[in-house]
Amino acid sequence: MGGRPEFYGKIAHSPDEPTFHQPWEGRVFGMTIFVQALVGPNIDAARYDLERLPREVYLASYYRRWLGGLESLLVNKGYLGAAELDARLDGSVAEPGSRRMPKAKLVVTARVLRLMRRSTYPRLMVTQVLPRALGGSRPTLSRRKFTVGDPVLVRGQRASGHTRQPGYVTGKPGVVTAHLGATLFPDAHATRTRARPQHLYTVSFEGSDLWGASAEAGTEVRVDLYESYLEPR
Amino acid sequence: MSEPDKSAVRVEALEALLVEKGLVDPRVVDEVIEHYENNVGSMNGARVVARAWTDAKFRERLLADGTAAVAEFGFGGPEGQLIVAVENTPEVHNVVVCTLCSCYPWPLLGLPPAWYKSAEYRSRVVAEPRAVLTELGVEVSPDRRIRVWDSSAEARYLVLPERPAGTDHLDVDALAGLVTRDSMIGVGRPLAASGDAR
Repeated sequence: MGGRPEFYGKIAHSPDEPTFHQPWEGRVFGMTIFVQALVGPNIDAARYDLERLPREVYLASYYRRWLGGLESLLVNKGYLGAAELDARLDGSVAEPGSRRMPKAKLVVTARVLRLMRRSTYPRLMVTQVLPRALGGSRPTLSRRKFTVGDPVLVRGQRASGHTRQPGYVTGKPGVVTAHLGATLFPDAHATRTRARPQHLYTVSFEGSDLWGASAEAGTEVRVDLYESYLEPR
Repeated sequence: MSEPDKSAVRVEALEALLVEKGLVDPRVVDEVIEHYENNVGSMNGARVVARAWTDAKFRERLLADGTAAVAEFGFGGPEGQLIVAVENTPEVHNVVVCTLCSCYPWPLLGLPPAWYKSAEYRSRVVAEPRAVLTELGVEVSPDRRIRVWDSSAEARYLVLPERPAGTDHLDVDALAGLVTRDSMIGVGRPLAASGDAR
């Protein structure tokens, strides 16, 4: 939604907000962490699910959106009937979800989450093990196309499904300022399509190249972009 | 019923269903909530910043490879697998956003506050950062560049703010107490040293 005036408005800022404003927000967060670990869509698939929620749910409060995402995940996976939760609330009868979760998986997930729930980790785990396991860093043999200082142009079209190419840089010129290694490619990962890991770059854009005459002076935006989003210029 | 009340009732019913179906262990949900409310938060990032202010070698390591540098504290893991620290200087002021969703360095700053996830902040800060910072009470002089970092992929950004003046006498723990969450996002400044601090 970067640069889209229909979303503009005063920012309801407060310097010391609580982690959760209401207890139910915490429950939605905790249940989502649990269920995602248990039935496992990856983070890209989960984001794609959120993006496809009805517009009024997507734009509702943050944890209302998470609640919508959690419900649709459970329904899509067959663990929850489409009308089962509504039926529980109004006392009517509805078809329950057909799928069952083996007890052993619940126990294992609970154990893994307990192990992960720590504020510090051994150094090797955070520099080597977790980045691989969580998808952030993947080795690739493909040579990178760009290097720091290269002028690039963001391709003029965005992918139709999930993508990490922001609309406001589409078709815009920038300069590569960093190479961040290679990672899983979210656009493919979201739909579980097999795809090679891709090189990831930080690209700097001048405010005036993005916003034209309305740009504020002396401003720039740096965006992390996958190699296939970029063309040489 | 108000919207929050409706949500509360719906969430309670959902949790009851999921527990019946063996899809959630409510004790683990309690622990996850407790963890993010109490153990993970901006106090972690504040320790990293205070160390960088007092240890030039660490500052260099932090700016060269943020992931490895914060791992010296044991920080990392989910939403913090690739940490990039960016330093405010007399020439550049940095500010962080995620225009696509709400990416944020959880291990260093905790879960993101509501305003950071709001459509207003996400849409405006890339296009009119000066106006946004002014609105949030941060004056950046016109000759200083503003660099907005849109965390659109794997990297999670931490702003290394300027050390406040008059803090030479403070030790690393006292300095960490001056580092606010907002200052590490770039929408605030560290607190000033209080007059009677020793």
